Amino acid sequence: MSVDTTRISEAIAKGQMDELQAITQKALDDKVDPGTILNQGLLPGMDKVGQLWREGEMFMPEVLRSAKTMSKAMDILRPHLSEGDLGSAGKMVIGTVAGDLHDIGKDLAGMMFEGAGYEVINIGIDQPNDAFVEAAIEHKPTLLGMSALLTTTMPRMGEVINSLKESGIRDQMAVIIGGAPVTQEFADEIGADLYAPNAGSAVELTRQFFHR
Amino acid sequence: MKINQTVNKTTQFKVLSEDQIRQIYFAALEVLERTGGQVFQEEALELFKNSDAVVKGNTVRIPPFMVEEALNFYPRKITLRGRNKKHSLSLQKDTVAFGTGSDLPFTYDRETGERRRTVYNDVKNAGHLVDALSHYDFFMSHGIVGDAPNPQTYDRHQFMAMLESCTKPMVVTSVDGEGLKDLWKMGCLIQGGEEEFKLNPLFVAYIEPISPLKNDRTAVEKLLFAAEKKIPAMYTPCPSSGATAPATIAGMLVQSLAETLLASVLCHLKKPGMPLIMGGVTTLLDMKTSTYSYGAPELSLASAANTDISKWLNLIMFSTGGCSDAKILDEQAAAEQMTSLFYSYLSGANLIHDVGYIDHGTNASLESLVLNQEMIGMVKQFGQGINTDEEHLALELIEKQGPGGEYVTTDHTYKHWKEWYMPKLQDRSDYETWVGNGSKTMGQRVKEETNRLLEEHNPQPMDDKLVQELKGIIHDADKRHS
Repeated sequence: MSVDTTRISEAIAKGQMDELQAITQKALDDKVDPGTILNQGLLPGMDKVGQLWREGEMFMPEVLRSAKTMSKAMDILRPHLSEGDLGSAGKMVIGTVAGDLHDIGKDLAGMMFEGAGYEVINIGIDQPNDAFVEAAIEHKPTLLGMSALLTTTMPRMGEVINSLKESGIRDQMAVIIGGAPVTQEFADEIGADLYAPNAGSAVELTRQFFHR
Repeated sequence: MKINQTVNKTTQFKVLSEDQIRQIYFAALEVLERTGGQVFQEEALELFKNSDAVVKGNTVRIPPFMVEEALNFYPRKITLRGRNKKHSLSLQKDTVAFGTGSDLPFTYDRETGERRRTVYNDVKNAGHLVDALSHYDFFMSHGIVGDAPNPQTYDRHQFMAMLESCTKPMVVTSVDGEGLKDLWKMGCLIQGGEEEFKLNPLFVAYIEPISPLKNDRTAVEKLLFAAEKKIPAMYTPCPSSGATAPATIAGMLVQSLAETLLASVLCHLKKPGMPLIMGGVTTLLDMKTSTYSYGAPELSLASAANTDISKWLNLIMFSTGGCSDAKILDEQAAAEQMTSLFYSYLSGANLIHDVGYIDHGTNASLESLVLNQEMIGMVKQFGQGINTDEEHLALELIEKQGPGGEYVTTDHTYKHWKEWYMPKLQDRSDYETWVGNGSKTMGQRVKEETNRLLEEHNPQPMDDKLVQELKGIIHDADKRHS
């Protein structure tokens, strides 16, 4: 059995949550391989959305609705998937560093990663350095995301990376950082793996990073 | 239930109070009564002589009652209809339409970057863009056809270039009365006859006096022909404050209104009820350079005030905006064009022309038309005002999302963000994305968009038989003048 990629793609692009959940459930009931549902159905559907966004054909509220739709379908599918099925689209821990109460940037990034199939653990705003390390130890993410919107809180991101090193788990995950004052240079300086200038490009850059 | 509510459905803007408008109007009546205007055309002088006006030589003085009688006869609504019927344009109080200006002698060449004489194809290309760009409601030629066989018939060729590429309503210039007659015949062919043209005119005839207070033969011929055939026409004073009008804006407005009112009496004497439109390119003579300025803030201020007067007089208004003195499409051009776009729109003028002009009305730039499309979009958004009904106050939503919540994924956002203006060429991306897309300036993006529109947009063609008939009229005119 295969999946109806056209219908899935349309349901994702139009943000039809109930429709996509029904299609996903039906495919599971029809004994379609869960990995096939994900890799030939859902992920290409969301890729299409990302492409339309980059081309200026879709807009933030629509893309997030699609991401949410995708994430709801993933809730049904995830228990049936093996680690191999997921590929790089694994787990992500994301949060805003200590002293910074800005939510929206990291939330948008988190939603975009959920849309790309990630299980996202959002630890919230104003998180002390230890909270990132503890979450990384507990959830074993493939990706750790940090956000800072203030020049005064940016240095915390470097400190978290150092703490990860001290705990001996730095190599088990990729670190991505973002926020208005952050630059690629700063990311290089503190030893982050990835920097994304906006929520939209974060997913694409991460995908390229893992496929290197 | 609430009572005693007043809601601004749109943004409000007004320069003159009603008492100030009356002061200017009564002053203009006094100019016509005391100073009068000069008329250099026999039939018009005869019409005035056979009326209660006082004619001495070429000078005509008019008592106020004649003006007030004439003003009662002008329509408050005219519906223009383009070659494509879907482009219909109702001219009525506070309904705004944007369009190009006309007859620019030079063109900024897109290949060489040099300034050169405007030719047939330049007018055609401008029409092509106006046809494609949604914020342009009417088309004036932008450039002047400089390669016509005879300057005395350029107007027919120019109209043909306009018709070939643009299906929207138009404002046309003509050489003289005979020229306007040919354009009208061409217009009647397109609209399906004289009666249909009268019902839904394809164009408005652009006519101007010579400030101060002079009316030359060709302008008067055109006015009289328009009155006879009920062709909509605007009589547009182009005074330069400090040179051909007083250096005060109020004085310039008085004089230019007197010029308009003289025409309104003349047309009424010829045949009551023609669709006369009030006009004005009211600006100043720049005292540093002695140019007629299209970028001065005084142009915007005087034009908006003139529109206030037109509304009080119940006349449809032809105003000016989106124009600049900058020699090329640069930062100065954008700043000046945006200023006059803003205030002409907010004033509620009905036909706003000269959009895209650069080099104080001498140089044509196709890119400028594309840039102004973007800016008109911004201006229109500002005019929308703010809806304050319950749905838009969003009280329930604010409570639901609460402190620290987000709005980007709510149904309310999904529904209402589409009310925002969506720029096409302006870049709002972050720095890295901008660099990634080639670090393009607005000028580069405008150029690319201009190329795209010229390549991809296809104006609806006219059928061959119609084209042959139109060319016949032009051919006859060329023969008469050879």
